[in-house]
Amino acid sequence: MTTAIATVAHAGALARRRQTRPRVAPWLLPLILVLGLFYLYPVFDVFRLALTRATLLGEEGGYTFATLTQTLARPEIPGILGVTAIFTLASVFSQQLFGLAIALVVVRGEKRRLFGTTIVRTTALIAWVVPGIAGGIIWKMLFNEAPFGGLNSVLRMLGATPVQWLSDPDLVMWSVVMSNVWRGTAFSMVVMYAALKAIDPVLYEAAAVDGASAPQRLFHVTLPQLRSAILVNMILITIQTLNTFDAIISLTGGGPGRSTEVLSLYTFNVVFRNYDLAGGAVLSILMLVISLGLALVYAAFLPKGEDR
Amino acid sequence: MSAKTRERIGDLFSYLFMLVIFVFFAWPLLWLLSLALRTRKEVFLGVSRFIPKAPTLDNFAMILSSDKFLAYLWNALKLSCLSAVGCLIVALPAAYAFSRFRFRGKGAWMMALLSVQMISPLVIMVPLYRYMASIGLTDSHFGATMVYIALSVPMVTWILKGTIDGIPAALDEAAMIDGCNRFGVFLRVVLPLSTPGIASAFIIAVIGGWSQFLVPFLLITKESLTPIGVGIFQYAGTQNDSSIQLLAAACLVSVVPAIVAFLALQRLILGALTAGAVKG
Repeated sequence: MTTAIATVAHAGALARRRQTRPRVAPWLLPLILVLGLFYLYPVFDVFRLALTRATLLGEEGGYTFATLTQTLARPEIPGILGVTAIFTLASVFSQQLFGLAIALVVVRGEKRRLFGTTIVRTTALIAWVVPGIAGGIIWKMLFNEAPFGGLNSVLRMLGATPVQWLSDPDLVMWSVVMSNVWRGTAFSMVVMYAALKAIDPVLYEAAAVDGASAPQRLFHVTLPQLRSAILVNMILITIQTLNTFDAIISLTGGGPGRSTEVLSLYTFNVVFRNYDLAGGAVLSILMLVISLGLALVYAAFLPKGEDR
Repeated sequence: MSAKTRERIGDLFSYLFMLVIFVFFAWPLLWLLSLALRTRKEVFLGVSRFIPKAPTLDNFAMILSSDKFLAYLWNALKLSCLSAVGCLIVALPAAYAFSRFRFRGKGAWMMALLSVQMISPLVIMVPLYRYMASIGLTDSHFGATMVYIALSVPMVTWILKGTIDGIPAALDEAAMIDGCNRFGVFLRVVLPLSTPGIASAFIIAVIGGWSQFLVPFLLITKESLTPIGVGIFQYAGTQNDSSIQLLAAACLVSVVPAIVAFLALQRLILGALTAGAVKG
């Protein structure tokens, strides 16, 4: 009897499995084709081109390691990497901090029914939807040192000395970071907001019973609970920031000099201004390696198992 | 200090912080609007004419009456909508398969999809430019659309998988008992039920396409085919300080459609995005 039931159940399971295991391939085929043609093939080609002397205009020549070593040994590379590191670190750190702070205040504001919470959230999100090129143009108008510059004219009205936002080589990087933080923070805000909402309220009740102060609740309940969300967010915004270049090309074009020429912009210039395809391919690989390396570093800090 | 006064002080600080945040995020766009509404004379009066004394719509009229700008806008609309539709066609069946089927290496496939997103469009454009030129897909909206689709499809697939996960699989089974095949279930049951998710994925893809710069900048050289993202960049290069009010108007024209599309579906889009980000 029991065996009979077991057999029936087994047959049912088999039938169900047959039902839930139809051919997957046709469903995935369009996706595989698109990604294969436009991602896989180009990435392979990047690796191949890095071993040639190809230019955008002419022949590839034979295969050689010379391009690889020569490109990486260019004298401007350390400077470019330094600029990229400062830009990325400053942007990621500010966006994460700022995004978390706004999310905390928005959550508090919603709880206390403060006026304007939605307005603040929506304003930040609108900045996020602005296309990179337009964002660069907008900030260029703000930083302009002519009377219509939206920051200096306010400073002048307040009686402060105007600032050379884009022409002072020591300052320009911070101006670029500021414009990037303006455009990017909303993403971190949204992720942090969702993660805050997902924290079990019981934890706060327990903390309140234990008489925890507000800073104690922040550091001993909220932040530990946000740990994995913060790490995932940092991975995503680091990669976004490393790849940013449209907002810089229309704001400073990499200048003055090379003071804001990040790796992605430099790669773009090498390929599409100097027509050096092979050199650009080497730099592309460098970009890939850096983002992959950073993703692995962050991932190592993620809590293992749990709900992820 | 009682708990109530502490809450009051907290509220005060919240308001102060919110004010700072609001000014930081709103100022650039308000300034852009202010410049776009000014006459050439008032532009040079700086912040004292933040609200122009003689506001004018001439700048917008000038921008919108130029055939060049109308073509830029039309091309951007066409490219971003076509590519968003294409993106859905590619992503929906895959999202359905990822949500419903069990198959070997599913987790690995999903992670691979996510890591594709890490690759900078610049990396793929380096070889793709030559490749597209050799098969004659430069200066064609079809070629650009295909690349747009590839760039947005990983994210859109993740979002749609999240949506379809939310539809009970029991509905699929019920429809199949009634004699529907898999594709029928997908078409008649799952698609109609995931309209909110599809709508937000569509808008996300449209906004992504609207902001594209690199792909059209490299693949399209004919001005009549150029979308707004590239058009505004080239226009900015030809303008000088004496026509900044026109540039401001042009910039606003290029930004507003994306903002409107986003605001229309804000709640849906945020829901779809955060579901992916928190799970992913």
